[in-house]
This record gives sequence, structure tokens and C-alpha cells, in this order.
Amino acid sequence: MKQTVYKGLTLLMLSAMLALTACGSGGSNKGESNAPGDNGDSNAPVKLKIMWQGADIRHQAMLKTQEVYTSKNPSVTFSPEYMAWDDYWKKLPTLAASHSLPDVLHMDGAYIQEYATRGTLEDLSDIDLTGVIDEKTLENLKIGGKLYGIPISRNAQGMAFNKEALEAAGIELPKKDWTWDEYFDFARNARAKLPDGVYPISDTDTWDFYQYYQMSFGKGSIIQEEGKKFNLDKELFMKFYGIHAEFREKKIVPPADMVSSFKENDPQADPMASGKVMTRGATVGSVGALEQLMPGKIDVVNLPVGPEGGGWAQPTIFLSVSTDAKHKDAAKAFIKWFVTDKAAGETYGTNFGIPIYDEIYTALEPTLAPKEKLGKKLYDTSIDKAMPFSPAAAGWTEWIDNYKKTMDAVMFGQKSIEEAYNEISKSGNAIAEKSGK
Amino acid sequence: MLLKGDEREMKVEAVHKPAAAKLRLAKKKVKGTNDNNLAGYIFISPWLLGFLLLTAWPIIQSFYLSFTEYSLLEAPTWTGTDNYANIFSSDNDFKTSLKVTFLFVLFSVPLKLFFSLMVAMLLNKSLKGMNLYRTAIYFPSLIGGSIAVSALWRNMFNLNGYFNHVLAWFGIEGVGWITNPHTSLGTLILLNTWQFGSTMVIFLAGLKQIPNELYESASVDGASKVRKFFHITLPMLSPVMFFNLVLGIIGSFQMFTSAFIITQGGPINSTYMYALFLYDKAFKHYQMGYASALAWILLVIVALMTAINFLVSRYWVFYETDGGKQK
Repeated sequence: MKQTVYKGLTLLMLSAMLALTACGSGGSNKGESNAPGDNGDSNAPVKLKIMWQGADIRHQAMLKTQEVYTSKNPSVTFSPEYMAWDDYWKKLPTLAASHSLPDVLHMDGAYIQEYATRGTLEDLSDIDLTGVIDEKTLENLKIGGKLYGIPISRNAQGMAFNKEALEAAGIELPKKDWTWDEYFDFARNARAKLPDGVYPISDTDTWDFYQYYQMSFGKGSIIQEEGKKFNLDKELFMKFYGIHAEFREKKIVPPADMVSSFKENDPQADPMASGKVMTRGATVGSVGALEQLMPGKIDVVNLPVGPEGGGWAQPTIFLSVSTDAKHKDAAKAFIKWFVTDKAAGETYGTNFGIPIYDEIYTALEPTLAPKEKLGKKLYDTSIDKAMPFSPAAAGWTEWIDNYKKTMDAVMFGQKSIEEAYNEISKSGNAIAEKSGK
Repeated sequence: MLLKGDEREMKVEAVHKPAAAKLRLAKKKVKGTNDNNLAGYIFISPWLLGFLLLTAWPIIQSFYLSFTEYSLLEAPTWTGTDNYANIFSSDNDFKTSLKVTFLFVLFSVPLKLFFSLMVAMLLNKSLKGMNLYRTAIYFPSLIGGSIAVSALWRNMFNLNGYFNHVLAWFGIEGVGWITNPHTSLGTLILLNTWQFGSTMVIFLAGLKQIPNELYESASVDGASKVRKFFHITLPMLSPVMFFNLVLGIIGSFQMFTSAFIITQGGPINSTYMYALFLYDKAFKHYQMGYASALAWILLVIVALMTAINFLVSRYWVFYETDGGKQK
């Protein structure tokens, strides 16, 4: 008896588990038709599915904004879903794959090309924004002549620093338009004055931070011509990571396992909020979340500059409508209201950066608390030296992942910088060649 | 199959009576058995349909897709064996993830078997309130491989995690267990070992089936406890052991949740499990065809491992019905 029971059971479980392993995907059913009630009948109740990413402070503002919209348009209610940056970009691909993207979704300059070229976003060129966003800005944001997202704010990349702690340690604060040399010197000097276990700057393993360096010295962006050309400057690459290797040795940057455990905007794991690092990158739209974690302690400066400038300043946050949307017209109407209506602007404030419509920001400005002006300050310090925002092209996500993994190996001392350079350029050139076909 | 035939018959009947009558005549010859089968198939039809539509069809589909380039959003294009050729010739991540997964299986399966057997033997003692202990020890397994447990472990073994706090009481400076490439895989193996509940319960059931007379007569002959363990418990338990071993190996090869939640394969691919690699290809890099090919390779690997297991089992698994002889 025993024999048959266990053998049978083993085989049964076996076949079930093997069957599950091989499950790839089901078929895809494109072209889901619009729900009824979307045919211009504006009074039929509509429930808009909407998704965005950010920190809690942004979530609260966004939820309130939807309440305001519903109070004005009682037929439209929302089914919101919101999460942090990392989780958001992990979830979106699976939704896209199963054709269940929400009606309205938050897009970012770093990802919009990928999603637009894969046909997941609606063309929004027909939303009339005359007098709200100038034609040139919109033209710049078009991908293949189509507008796949409505920019909702002006954004800029700069740096936040722990003003309170730096002052307490008697360290000279970063100044606007500091050069990369000044940035590295700041780190060296601060090391001597900071207590053990506290670091002036963090280590870096992502491609975008190195790209700021390369671009500021006039060597251009890494991924060019919509992904058909790859451009990684060996000399600058070796120099940039050489300096970081030296810093690792001298404990000017935190050890590798600490760097890997950082998680931005997490009270315990944020490099700055945890008190471990004095500086980190910040954008106009996200600096508010950091300020909330360490109120009154931080200040901002632009990214270090080179002869070409430093950082970027332009709209990178969008609201898009997915091709899976069931209520496309209602979604477009909401987005238009979101960027043009003052009541909307008052509600979400500066949580996405500086509202794109100047009239909204002018109305908003007198009511802003000093801490909310931090975003505006970041924008103002960054704008005159800003370089173009240079995202990856569609199809490059794998390379971006590999870049980080390769540089992590350098950080943990398992690869030399030269090896890393060779690997990264090899895979970069391969993808560029493939995209060129 | 029969179900389909009968469905067809019904349709035919509606439009074409004479033909249907002929069919029925033909069927009459085997009528007795057929009717019984039909009822049976109807009874299991919910499961059967579920299996055909949700399991069998996707499997066939994925086999087809593994020979295509398919981004999920555009129609697949046939590329022949390109995916397989690329995987074996030039994909470093494939080699890395395979290595990591084999390491994981190699350590986590024996560890888990060992611990669950030890715990099962403890729980097999007759003590007062034993049911309470059993419940308490099995309880964590109810929440077993879930996301929540993984998130808990992430917090425990992070650089600022509870584990390092405890170490600090003893003056030991911990490392970032899950953010250090030397310790991350070990931490995941530990987590997998800790989730021994279901394996342990199966062992416990097996232990209970070993007749007490065997131990009694061995005691009369003066056998020591160790001897009894090696000469009674282990051989009598070997079918259960085999069952747990096979399931453990298959489960470990498919390890995904904790690697995805806790380490995301990092740092530097040190916990880049095969299933995670497959997921990245499918849902992050939009290479569903490539990912399907990976799934089929995993299927072959797991099937091979299991076949080896079954072959080797005849040398160490004893069944009572064979009179205790090796097969």
C-alpha cells in the first residue's frame, strides 16, 4: 500500500509542478472596445482607473485632487492605485502585458519612450492646451510627431544636502554652479571633519549619474539617435570611477553593502534621512518628500557642472492615457482639468514639481510654506546651466540593468573599472547595432 | 476527447438527423462502457476544462513562443531556434543564474530535509501538550513562502535590520546580510530552510507509520538509539524522504518570491535565481519568446534531475511491500 501511495503522490505532485513551470503566457487579446457610456454621453457615471508613483505626501495630494474633481463632476469617480517609484515600474510592465493598464497613468521622461513606442499610450495631441503650455515645449516632447503624455510640471535634477549637519561640522556648504572638481574636493574636505560612519557623498552605480558627468564635459549623451548609437567616453569613464575607487578606499563614500541597502524616501534606509550621507540627488518633484523626512534640515544646489553645464531642467512628469483605457474621453477631460484648473493646482501644489501652467503657480506662490519653496529653489538654481534631459531609448532597459550590476561588481571589488568599461560598451554596442537594423 | 466527440454528435444531430442516427448505431456496440465514461467525464469537466484551457493550452503556446521573438505587445515573429542558440552561446546571465540556482538547490534541499526530519522526530515524542508544540511549530508555515515573510526577512537581515541589532549587543558588527554578495545567497538558503513546515508534517506522518514492534524488538536485542535510527527509522522513512527530496528539488529550482522581494537578484547577481531571470526577460525586457525558451530549458533540467532521482532511488529507497529488499 505504502509504495503505491507515495509513488502515486510523488508522480502526481510532479506532473502538477512541471506543468506550472512551463507556463509562459496566455494569448493576448488586443483591441478591447470602449465601454458604452463613453460615446459622448457625459452624464453616464464613469469610474476612471488611475495610477501614479511617488512618496506618501504626493499620494495624499493626488487623492484630494481627485475628490475635488468628483465634487465638480459628480458622474466621474476614481479607482486609484499608487505606490513608490520602484514598485510602480515593476508593476506597469505586467499590466501592459495583460492589456489592463489604467485609464490615466503617470509617466516619466525616463520611461515614456519605451511605453509609447510599444503602442501602450494614446496620442493626446488633440487636447487643446493653447495658452497653457507653449507650443515649443510640447513640440519638444513629441515622440515620432505624437504627444503621448501631457507634461504637468517643470522638473529639474539637482542635489539636496544636509545643511544642518554640514554647518554643525564646520564644512563649507556646496554653492550654486560648483564644478565636478569642487564636488570631489568638497567630499575630501568633509571626510576629515565628519564623524566616523557618516559620509559626505554616496557611491554611484547607475548610468544616469555618470552620464551627467560625461555630458557636462561636452562628450554627449550615452544613448543617441533613438538607441541606434552608443557613446561611452572611455577616458571620462575611467577617471570618474577611478575617483570613486579612491574614495571607497579612503572611506569618503560608504561601503558597498551599505550603498546597496539604501532606499530613497524610506525613513530608515534613505541615505540622507538615515543620517549616513550628507548629499544625494533630488528633483523638483521629489525634494518635498525628503524635506518631510528631515524638516528644516536640508537645502538644495544644482548638480556639479562642467564646461557644458550640469543636470537638466524640463518637464519629465506626464499624465498619459493608455490604449487599454475604457473611458478615453473622460480620461482626457480629467487630464486637461488637472493641468489647467486653478482649484486642481491649489490641491496638488508642488508635489509633482512646479505646475506647468504659469497662472497656477503664480496663484500658488504666495501660499507656499518655505519648505515648499525648496522645489522652486532647486528649479531656479538648475535652469541656467541645465543640459538636455537624455533618457534611454526603447529596448535599453536590459542594458541599464546590466550597467548597474557591472558597476556593483566594481563597487564590491570583483571587477576592475576597465573590465566594466569593456563589458558595458560591448553590450551597449550590441543593442545599438540591433536597434539600427 | 470523448467529451468532444459527444458534443460534436449533439451538434450533428441538430442539423443532420440520418447521419446522427448512423453515428448512434455505430456507438451502440460499445454503449455499456461509454455511458459510464460520459458521466465520469461530465463530472470532472470543470477540472478538465480548467486544465485544458488554463494549463495545457498555455504550455503548448509557450512551446510555440519559444521559437519566436515576442514582445507581448506586438505579434510574435518566427525566429526558429535562435532563442535557444543565443541562450546557450552568448548569454552570461543564463550561466550565472543557473549556477546560482544549482548552488541554492545543492544547499537548501539537504538542509531543509535535515532540519525538518530533526524537528519531526522531536515532535514524534510522546510528551504532555505535544499537540500544542506541533501547532506552534507548524504555525509559521501557514504564512510560509508569502510576500509578507519575505518582507519581514528583508527587514531582519538588512544592514540596519533586527539581526544586526541583536549582534550589536554582543559587540559584533554585522554586515548587510542581504546586500553583501558573500552572504546574500546564504541568507536566502536560511530562509528556505526555515520554511520547513510542510516537509516536516510529511516526515511526521511517515514516522507515525513505523510500527513500534520494530523498535521494541531492536531494544530487546540491545540496539542503541543511534543504531535504531540508522537501521529502522531511516530505511522505513526512505519513501517519505524520497518524496520530500523530489518535491524539494523541484520547488527550489523554481524559487522566486524571496529572491524577488528581498534581493531582486542582487547584489551583483549573487541571488539571481533562474526563475527571476526568466521573469526579468519576460516582463521587464519584454522578451516573452526568449523567456518561454528559458522555461522549457528549466523544464528539461528539472525533468532530468527528477529522472536521475528516480533511477538512484532504487539503491536507497526501501518499500515495506518488497519485504525490505532493495529493488
